[in-house]
Amino acid sequence: MREHDLDLYRRIEAQDENALELLYDRYEKLLFSFAFRMTNNKFLSEEVVQEVFTKLWTKKGMYDESKGKFSSWLLTITRNTSIDLLRKKKETPYELEERDALLDERPSTEEVVEWKESSERICTAVKELTSEQQEIIELFYFKGMSQSKIATTCNIPLGTVKGRVRLALKHLREKLSNVQERGVRE
Amino acid sequence: MTKNSCDVLLDYFNDQLTCEERKEFEAHLQICKDCQDELKELQELTADLPYSSEPIEPSAGMRERVLSNVLQAENSDMAMEGTEAEKNKTSNERVTEIIPGKKVNKWYKPLVAAVLVLSLIGNGAAIIYINQDEDVADSGSETIRDTIQRMEELQPSEGVSAQATAMMIEQNKNTNLVVQASDLPPLEGEETYQVWVVEDGKPYRAGTFVPNNNGLGAVSYVINYEGNHKWDTIAITKEPTANSKTPQGNILLSSPL
Repeated sequence: MREHDLDLYRRIEAQDENALELLYDRYEKLLFSFAFRMTNNKFLSEEVVQEVFTKLWTKKGMYDESKGKFSSWLLTITRNTSIDLLRKKKETPYELEERDALLDERPSTEEVVEWKESSERICTAVKELTSEQQEIIELFYFKGMSQSKIATTCNIPLGTVKGRVRLALKHLREKLSNVQERGVRE
Repeated sequence: MTKNSCDVLLDYFNDQLTCEERKEFEAHLQICKDCQDELKELQELTADLPYSSEPIEPSAGMRERVLSNVLQAENSDMAMEGTEAEKNKTSNERVTEIIPGKKVNKWYKPLVAAVLVLSLIGNGAAIIYINQDEDVADSGSETIRDTIQRMEELQPSEGVSAQATAMMIEQNKNTNLVVQASDLPPLEGEETYQVWVVEDGKPYRAGTFVPNNNGLGAVSYVINYEGNHKWDTIAITKEPTANSKTPQGNILLSSPL
């Protein structure tokens, strides 16, 4: 039976290395993929994952149930860490390429968060948005740009950025529920 | 307060505020129902977006690197202080031009080379404490009692035509690593070539240099890291600046030790 994230987190707070490994195996791929989506750099993505787990391990009391679902919270931390590292590392455009191509051998017994289906579903919904809306979500959410940077990049008035971001996200939410109703073909 | 606090909600969400601005906004957030609702809505509306990321396989060896670095993180506060010293150290290293030495015995083992390529990946935020107080430039005066411990010819990675030789010279109980390289591709901007010695997949800086116009470069470096180390690999990478704590660029040349 799958041990709850929250239980694992509590054990991590109590410096249980085994729990750290279990949570790591569960989330490594999701966090790494998300960090790569944000940074487009495998080296930085590994650093992001490492920093997220370092925070979990060294700072007690970061998470409690008032902060929402553990996985959502963990992804928020991952996103903030990605934005932060991107800001710090603007001067290192290097990408590790072929060295990363080899796969790792890893324990496959413990369950891993899988999200391939939701990935397809969300991508389908995103593609149904106008290109302006797709762009503003990209710049706001995945690039983590400031409002003024978004305004300059899209050549729109600063005062309209917030409204456009909200509208784009709301449209995405609608499309998403439509896609869900239609169902996804494998 | 200069601008309407509600206007910075997005920048708060994206962590784009200065420390002061953030505190200001957080105070505002306590009393502004609109912002609380909007922030909550923003969190809900974006909650699915991370799952739109295309699944990709984590880098090879990442699990071991990350977990071991995380478990060591408690001791990292002290290590942080090494960063400045390390930067200063870099600027003291001399760049010299040497005629490439003649070839020495080959140590080429393709499998080993593949393994060391893996061993140098990433290493995340590995923090290395540098205890480096020797003045490298002085080492030349000690020639009499120096003994060459070993001499290695580094193997170029695929598609690289450069050559390099590394000599480890014992000097007052320290190991002086002398690396000379030729046919190096030219650098741009602040790029440098960086020598690393590797122990169990963990790279340690071992000299920084830039080649001359003919692609020749060399560096002498006293390896003086605290504790006992058994170096298993030497490698040269191209780095974006002289300050990389871990390799960021691809391996150009390497050899098992």
